[in-house]
Amino acid sequence: MKNFRNTFLSILLLFPLVIFAQMSIKGKVIDKTTQDPLPGVSIVVKGTSHGTETDFNGLYSINNVKSGDVLVFSFIGFNSLEFTVTSDTDINVELEESAESLDEIVVIGYGSVKKEDLTGSVDVISSKDFNQGAVISPEQLLQGKTAGVRITSAGGQPDAAPNIRIRGGSSLTGNNSPLIVIDGIPLDNGGISGVKNPLSLINPNDIESFSVLKDASATAIYGSRASNGVLIITTKKGTSGDAKFNFSARVSVSEVTDQIEVMDSDTYVGFIQEFFPDDTGLLGVPAGSVSTNQAVSQTISTPQGDRDIYNTDWQDAIYRAAVTTDYNFSARANLMEKIPFRASIGYNNTEGIVQTSDYERVTASLRLTPKFFDDHLRIDFNAKGTFVEKNEVDEGGALGSAVSMDPTKPVFDDNSIFGGFYNQVLAPDDPLNPNAKVGANNPLGLLEQRTRPQKVNRILANIELDYKFHFLPELRAVTNIGLEASRAKTEEVFSNNAISTYVLDPSASPGTYIFNPGVGFRERQHITNTTWESYLVYRKEYDTGLLNSFDVQAGYSYQNFKNDGNKDEFKNDTDTGVRVVNFDPLNPNNRFFSLLNLQSFFGRTNINLSNKYLLTFSFRADGSSFFTEENRWGYFPAAALAWKLKEETFLKDVNFINDFKVRVGWGETGQQDVSGKVGFFPSIPLFEIGSPNSQFIEGVNLYNAKEFNPDLTWEKTTTYNLGVDFDFFKNNFVSGSFDIYKRETTDLLVLTNVPPGQALSDLLIQNFGETESKGFDLNLNLNPIENEDFNLSLNGNLSYNFTEVTNLKGADQITVTDDGTRLPIGTGNFIFRHAVGEEAGSAWVFKQVYDVNGKPVWGSFVDRNGDGNITDDDRYFKAIRPNWTFGFGFTINYKNWDLSSSLRGQLDGQIYNAKRLTAGVIDNVVSQDGNSLDNTLNFFSGVADIEVVDVVDPIQFSDYFLENASFLRVENIVLGHTLKDVFKGTTLKIYGAVNNPFIITNYSGQDPENFNGIDNDFYPRPTTYNLGINIDF
Amino acid sequence: MMKKNILKIVFSLVLLFSVSCTDDLNTEPIVELTLEELLAQDPNAVEGILSRLYGSFALSGPDGPGSSDISDDAGESPFLRGIVNLQDFTADAMKNRWGDNGLDQLTTTSDWTADNKFFRYLYNRIFFTIPQCNNLIAILENVDVENKEVIISEVRFIRALAYYYLIDVFGKGVLATEGNFGETEPLPEASRQELFDYTEAELLAIEPLLLTSNTYGRATRATAQMLLSKLYINAEVYTGTPRYTDALTYIDRVITDGGFTLATDFVSLFSADNDNSTEIIYPLIADADISQSFGNTTYIVNGSLNTETIPLADFGATEGWGGHRSSKAWYGLFGDLATSTDVRASLFWTEGHNFEMTDYREWTDGYPSVKFRNTNFLGSSSSTSFSSTDFPLFRLADAYLMYAECAIRGATGANMDLALQYVNNVRTRSNANAISQSDLTLQFMIDERARELNLEGHRRSDLIRFGMFTGNTYIWPWKGGVVNGTSIPDSFKLFPIPSSALQANPNLTQNPGF
Repeated sequence: MKNFRNTFLSILLLFPLVIFAQMSIKGKVIDKTTQDPLPGVSIVVKGTSHGTETDFNGLYSINNVKSGDVLVFSFIGFNSLEFTVTSDTDINVELEESAESLDEIVVIGYGSVKKEDLTGSVDVISSKDFNQGAVISPEQLLQGKTAGVRITSAGGQPDAAPNIRIRGGSSLTGNNSPLIVIDGIPLDNGGISGVKNPLSLINPNDIESFSVLKDASATAIYGSRASNGVLIITTKKGTSGDAKFNFSARVSVSEVTDQIEVMDSDTYVGFIQEFFPDDTGLLGVPAGSVSTNQAVSQTISTPQGDRDIYNTDWQDAIYRAAVTTDYNFSARANLMEKIPFRASIGYNNTEGIVQTSDYERVTASLRLTPKFFDDHLRIDFNAKGTFVEKNEVDEGGALGSAVSMDPTKPVFDDNSIFGGFYNQVLAPDDPLNPNAKVGANNPLGLLEQRTRPQKVNRILANIELDYKFHFLPELRAVTNIGLEASRAKTEEVFSNNAISTYVLDPSASPGTYIFNPGVGFRERQHITNTTWESYLVYRKEYDTGLLNSFDVQAGYSYQNFKNDGNKDEFKNDTDTGVRVVNFDPLNPNNRFFSLLNLQSFFGRTNINLSNKYLLTFSFRADGSSFFTEENRWGYFPAAALAWKLKEETFLKDVNFINDFKVRVGWGETGQQDVSGKVGFFPSIPLFEIGSPNSQFIEGVNLYNAKEFNPDLTWEKTTTYNLGVDFDFFKNNFVSGSFDIYKRETTDLLVLTNVPPGQALSDLLIQNFGETESKGFDLNLNLNPIENEDFNLSLNGNLSYNFTEVTNLKGADQITVTDDGTRLPIGTGNFIFRHAVGEEAGSAWVFKQVYDVNGKPVWGSFVDRNGDGNITDDDRYFKAIRPNWTFGFGFTINYKNWDLSSSLRGQLDGQIYNAKRLTAGVIDNVVSQDGNSLDNTLNFFSGVADIEVVDVVDPIQFSDYFLENASFLRVENIVLGHTLKDVFKGTTLKIYGAVNNPFIITNYSGQDPENFNGIDNDFYPRPTTYNLGINIDF
Repeated sequence: MMKKNILKIVFSLVLLFSVSCTDDLNTEPIVELTLEELLAQDPNAVEGILSRLYGSFALSGPDGPGSSDISDDAGESPFLRGIVNLQDFTADAMKNRWGDNGLDQLTTTSDWTADNKFFRYLYNRIFFTIPQCNNLIAILENVDVENKEVIISEVRFIRALAYYYLIDVFGKGVLATEGNFGETEPLPEASRQELFDYTEAELLAIEPLLLTSNTYGRATRATAQMLLSKLYINAEVYTGTPRYTDALTYIDRVITDGGFTLATDFVSLFSADNDNSTEIIYPLIADADISQSFGNTTYIVNGSLNTETIPLADFGATEGWGGHRSSKAWYGLFGDLATSTDVRASLFWTEGHNFEMTDYREWTDGYPSVKFRNTNFLGSSSSTSFSSTDFPLFRLADAYLMYAECAIRGATGANMDLALQYVNNVRTRSNANAISQSDLTLQFMIDERARELNLEGHRRSDLIRFGMFTGNTYIWPWKGGVVNGTSIPDSFKLFPIPSSALQANPNLTQNPGF
């Protein structure tokens, strides 16, 4: 009752009516360390709402203060200071930066909170925790750094797609990637043409911190796109003090460490002589027929005449020691002492380890954060420009050929018709196919004879206006307008005599071939995304009473994603073989266009009771253009409670506990993004125009009625989360967090079978079935040693996630037909299924029979149901995704030296070793036409089994091809040396780093870390050695 | 005061803007068209939709040979490819060696399961075409076009053709019509008899409405009569009631009213310029340029060639897929191929190949058929990656042989002399010796149908009708999965209903034996 009265009184204090006229106080607030003035420091008379702020020069003045009042000086990132007023009217204050300054404030979407006041499951990774060394793209900064976040690059390409999963991802067909928000602007969920990793368009050097929102109470405020968590990226800001500059430079050398173990020339010759004695005439080249610097390793005599054997390692031929340079310059200053700004410029030039796979990027950013009207209006203007030019190589072709091409062939041949690259062709007098190209394509030729430059210019800009009402300072209105625009261009060009453009000229005499140099493909794409958000926040703090503080906010958000582009497509003329434009009169420039519109109304309140109990409620209504008007809106509530036990009397005086908080959260989030599978207009009836190659009745244009589902609506995920945050012993000796969670997803967006005959195709995107995810995340930090000269800190994380399919609307299982899950044999061989009671996307396999020596008995499977027949009923499910993932690392500081390392891995998961399927089979050695030889995995060293003769259906579904994908990878090791005051005010840091030095795994292939679970033609992740400097002045 | 006013204005704007913005949620495409836009833009729009319905039997999808109307592989799943796979490879004459998941089981007529993707392909294609037809009929209820009745009749023919394959191959399914189009509750299962009755009624209704001649590739009265005859000649298999007299009635109309004549040369029927043929009643069009598909005759031409033994250029192809060879059950019917005068006997590639198919996965075991080719019969032509040879789904020679068969089976009104004359017309056209009345037996007819019509998508239905497909009265190489052939159970007269269909519609039931 007393508390209630206090609260009431506090509310009364909102209206300070009569105040005794008393003295004024003025002074200056500075940073204790730098002695720079601190603007924006809040000064409040304790126990009142009466206060002010410092100006840009750190100066303040406050009226109506009487002796004995206590002034509280507080500023984000600094320890608060209290000062009791005496008769002195000049009070100058020095504030000290708090030890965990960067951790303190957490950006949570439409605002920020102090870390101690968080109610949801949110991890913060700030610059001091970032991975170092060869980092091209922002997500690489936090790989392995936080529990529950699995980041799997698609390979070692300079801009490899990142594949980010927060707590697994619960959708089956919908997008499972988290929402990424940069400085308040949610990014596009579609792709930019030619850019595999949209995040790589942000310079990692501009990033201040990441917030990872994992549970629904944290993500619900982002509603429509937040079912898979949210990754909030905050970029660096300007300063209000003296100008500061930073310059960094890094040079790196990357190399491939693990190649696929195929036979070398000598082994291969022996192998062919033993197993295919009739085909030795296909080895090497006719003696003396090739002109090259490469030495002939031996000459063998065959029934077809003498053959020169070369010794070529085709993988060596396409890989290189790749050099990367990276430069960044940034300036922070206070323009005209009024406008804090930061500007940066960055240049990165990365060579891929595959020849001609090049990437060059220039980034520029500008951020201005001025304030107007006595600091009532804050403006945050942000603009980032990126210019990328890269060469996209034909990975599948080159990496595949580098494994399969016969090692007895030379790389070059001056006599070759293919511009000097050796490639096998049949003789001009071949009775069946004169001059035909046979065998694998020369992989180096494929790389050198084709360029596919992709140029992207992109701008990401926003302006945020944050207005604090003059007549009611507790009320703020915030508007954020953003633009994300990119212009991309791709052009594929073949050089003269390019192997892959060698085609038959049907109009000339048999055996006449021509080349088609020049442009083979062109695409231009314009992406224009606009975002507009506005909200009102009312925040009130009380000094006494049960209600410590509360805020209420309500707002509206508008997002529009437009992708407009066109292509030049070509074909070979059927009569002449010459490449000509494939003209479509009904869509002359092959335009493509898609549009997505999302709108939302949202509200949230945070209530702090006695600084012990923190409550958050949020509610969001989301509309998506993917759904018809009747099914358009989804409503997503969330609630959370945090209990700061440390603040309770029974723990308050327990010294070894610095912090202890329990969090409980519940919430619903929605999922609507099906664009990757069904396009942008999935619920309305539309016609598409048949292509010029797909016409039927002469004289009319063909039109196709596309399938659609008017009943389509939101997929809903309910998340329950229970977590604790803790910080024990002196100097944060042990701190961390532990969360357990459960997620139930219903009305899953699944592309699956419709009752036959009842829709315009066999599959339709539908709201169908349910999944359930369970798991936990553990983050643990140790600070065992912390003193003047020597610091040691360790961090680690461990997470478990299991997503089970619980209902498929009566069906037992549905096939996963995503790109990248197709087995590289025949067509339509999909091994993964979503099956009720199994982990989503499990492999459906037969159990291989092995003999007493552990060798596979080829073609024999275990009759698991004992019915005497091997049928699909004998197949079983094997989970592919890793359930257990972890990361850990340490940092040691000794005087001016620092040493750090970061490691991560997974404890389970399976990977399908597709090279065993395509290149581990004896019968694949001689081509189907009998004219050429292919290399295979080395049968003699144990990477493939000599018993594996032929792939007869359903051998590809044998669990023989599945291997354990556990691994421990050393992400980086960094050694740095810092020199302070080399010149006055200049700090110089020199470091050496190695990224991905090694991996520990039992996997027999190249790399077990594979997002799709199928290892085939994988672009290897290199080991990179770096040397860098970083100068602050 | 100034500030307050600004704020008020800003607030009003914000409110106004957010209200007007919700309209933006009704996004519209630019490249794809709504029905209204399509009709406004192209006066032939309806025929354009009709074209895709006809094309659904040969094309894989609307966006080139890599696109697919259904979720299945664009290359493997097209309708015509399914017809060849299920009607010819499962029977005696053609075997494939690729071993792709499920194809071995077809080619060896053994181990059929509901999960075999090749059964699903045809099932999905049937149930792609049917609702697409229903959709156009529903559209035409509200759209005015010229010759509406004819166009609707053509759509009903296309739908009936799809139902014919459902009846023949799977024996049951749902009856999806324009009447229940758009229903989301799973439809009840319709029996073979119900499907038969519906398809018969449809064909009887449209037969008088269809044109006697039409643009090439479109249905005519004769096309419907031919399909009706196919339905009737197999009626005993489908419903238990023989309808040979009805079959004869409509075959007779095709022969006497259709205006078709036998092509002078057999090979011209299977060449790239066969669109000029006087014999073809209903083609599935292929064109190397504008009607590209891996599932039309490209599948037959390229699939039967391999650079290991055959010069591709001789048959107008640029690729040999090394897949199909015929078995002695076909070429054995011609006696010694080297000495036979029958033109049809010359259409096997024997050089480098063995007569016996000891191993169906060995390319050189068995003779590839070069009946279908991509060269012009008249004049020169060039090799192309896709075939330009149209598939003669219905042709006059088939009608002639069906007439004779119905006559032998005792159809009322049959003329045995005419029957003999028809058979001899077919034979002598290919330089085979004429036969006499006493030779005209059912056994002769099934063999003649093999000589004349193999690889044209009829063989399995024919063998079932003659009681020779299942059991052990007739065996062929690799029947039942053994090299010399063995008995297979009667359940093989129908294919299993694909498990994907059973899962999607719980009202559907599996065929016996699977």
